[in-house]
Amino acid sequence: MRVNPNPMPDLLAALNQTQLEAQQALREISSGRSVNEPSDNPTAAALLVENNDQATFNNGYLQSLNSVQGQFSTADSTLSSVVTALQRAISLGVEGANGTLSDSDRAAVATELQGIQSQLVSLANTSYQGRYVFAGTNTNTPPFVVDNTVASGVRYAGNNGVNQVSIGSGYKLAVNLPGSQLFSAAGNDVFLAINILIQALQTNTSIDTAVSGVGAAYSYLSAQRVFYGNALNQTQSQTTYLNTAKLQISQQENTLGGVDLAAAATNLAKSQTDTQATLAAISKFSQNNLFDYLK
Amino acid sequence: MSGLNGSLSIALSALSVSQQALATTSNNVANANTPGFSRQRPVLAAGDPVVVGELTFGTGVMLQKIESLRDPILEIQLNQETQQQSKLDTSLGQLRQIQTQFGSASSGIGADISNFFNSLQQLAPDPSNLALRQSVLTAAGNLATDLNNTAHSLQTQRSNLDLNVVQSVSQVNTLTAQIASVDRQISSLQNAHQDASSLVDTQTNLIRQLSGLVDVSVIPTDQGISLALSNGTTLVSGSQSFALSSQLGSDGVQHILAGGQDITGSLKGGSLAGLIQIRDQEIPGLGSSLDQLAAGLANALNTANKTGFDLNGNAGGNLFVPPPVGGVGAAATLSVSITDPALIAASSDRTIGSNGNLAVLSAVHDQAVANGQTPLDFYSNIVFQVGIATSNTSADVDSSNLILRQLQDQRGSVSGVSLDEEAANLIKYQTAYQAAARVVSTVNTLLDVAVNLGK
Repeated sequence: MRVNPNPMPDLLAALNQTQLEAQQALREISSGRSVNEPSDNPTAAALLVENNDQATFNNGYLQSLNSVQGQFSTADSTLSSVVTALQRAISLGVEGANGTLSDSDRAAVATELQGIQSQLVSLANTSYQGRYVFAGTNTNTPPFVVDNTVASGVRYAGNNGVNQVSIGSGYKLAVNLPGSQLFSAAGNDVFLAINILIQALQTNTSIDTAVSGVGAAYSYLSAQRVFYGNALNQTQSQTTYLNTAKLQISQQENTLGGVDLAAAATNLAKSQTDTQATLAAISKFSQNNLFDYLK
Repeated sequence: MSGLNGSLSIALSALSVSQQALATTSNNVANANTPGFSRQRPVLAAGDPVVVGELTFGTGVMLQKIESLRDPILEIQLNQETQQQSKLDTSLGQLRQIQTQFGSASSGIGADISNFFNSLQQLAPDPSNLALRQSVLTAAGNLATDLNNTAHSLQTQRSNLDLNVVQSVSQVNTLTAQIASVDRQISSLQNAHQDASSLVDTQTNLIRQLSGLVDVSVIPTDQGISLALSNGTTLVSGSQSFALSSQLGSDGVQHILAGGQDITGSLKGGSLAGLIQIRDQEIPGLGSSLDQLAAGLANALNTANKTGFDLNGNAGGNLFVPPPVGGVGAAATLSVSITDPALIAASSDRTIGSNGNLAVLSAVHDQAVANGQTPLDFYSNIVFQVGIATSNTSADVDSSNLILRQLQDQRGSVSGVSLDEEAANLIKYQTAYQAAARVVSTVNTLLDVAVNLGK
């Protein structure tokens, strides 16, 4: 059979092919990515969109945790001061219950308790970054207002709202306890208990009962405080988890779209060798034909 | 007719035929690199013999014809594969352009969707914070802008394709007119029993170019060739060509008409079919997917925003300008309807500290908003579709190129000019010429002897 006397188009196509391969390898090496456009690997390109979403949210959860941790710490240390103040109130009440005290001594104790009452109101109105921590979701106004028309002397102006913040996929954390639940719960109203104690001292009646009322409020509040301790623990363990997940997500990203540098470098070297071989073939092709021998 | 004069005449025929054969060789060498040229070869035959008594004498050599070596079946296969390859190659170029819009996972529409929902999450711990609220609006704006830009780019590409369609139609018309005119010349030469090989080469080459544009097939007839599209539309019949025309259709793009009939959808091969496929199928399909996504997202987020209360304690309104009913054009026109960050309805109880409704807004991330899919699943499916269409077409182009090269190799083996072969022919005809010349000189000597016989 007669062969095609002009293999040049084939050689040029081969050259084009090896140069394309070199280009692809170079692009992978320079970008550090094997998926530079969807057609490089359609499945991986689609999965990378989801992967980027996971990475974005993972970082977002970490930021949210950082932000709620500040709020938790503020609330917890405030409640720690509240507990200390209540302990002081109890020991004052016990002192006032001592029958040897004069009226003026008891009046002095009652005055000190009034000071503690004011301190408690101020603590219950603690704010974090301009938001009142114990106001439910009514965070822009002080939740506890001194009001002598009510029995406890303090009126709750907040609400019972509880906010939740996502700190993981499908993992929501309640981030506040309303003041109504902490300080003015029916039966364990801190302000009412202190107010009763003050009146008991002033009238010298049922002081022991009033002291045990403060004691009950103290126990109740201490139990509620655990919420913030737990929340802080959860944020810490979730932070650890998310940092691990961050690594996994970035490893997955690398598996999907990262470049195998060794393979890419080998491909580059191979295509360069191919290119040289093809170029040599083109230059040698038909250097001679029969015309050269006609003399 | 024997005798010395007979020998002289035979030698002369050999001289003349050798010269013509040399001319053919020379022409082959000259056209070794001419595209579409088919090598030619002289067809020699012995002259009609004369009978003198019982003896039969030869009368020399004659050149019957100069034939072109060409395989008609191969030419048809080459046309068909050219049509296939041009269509695929055109589609691939356009698909590559399309997929740049969907190239990166860390930027573009997909990342915008993630960033928007993440900004909502960031607002949750501190829902009254205006800076955080502003980032939600900024993220929503970025999403809208990227959807707008992508939709516009696709539209621009479509307009350019439309322009290409019109240009291609005019190229088709130029080529068919040329083919018909060459056919007229071929017929007149053939009627005068003359060789039309080089014109046939020209015509074959023109048909190859036409095959790059449309799915044309060649039907040889008594009145020259006839060219028809695969849908039956006649483009050339002998020396007459029929022009295609283009006309703006009610759908806003150019339609191709043949004798008043719309043949836009029935083109199967050639770059024109590739252009139309991308213009009328790929881009509109992709555009409507983006519209579905934009409308689905905007509607779901508007609904979610309306279930809550803004920073002023008022019921929430639309977050995005409501997309057109039915969604057509939603991606190109999507825009954020509020500029005041206080109007994001984060609260579920009218207080500024509540973030209850942010959960409702965030839930749209996992809600079926388009075609039963979540926004991101729907988008990543678009990325997959664009990628797979491009990579499949790319593989098809590769295999079509391979087939085309094999066919061209085969054509070369039949019709290509080999310089070695021509050099050998040159020697052959040169030797024949020298031998014939020697015969002439010998006969001349002998004639001299005869003329001087009486002296």
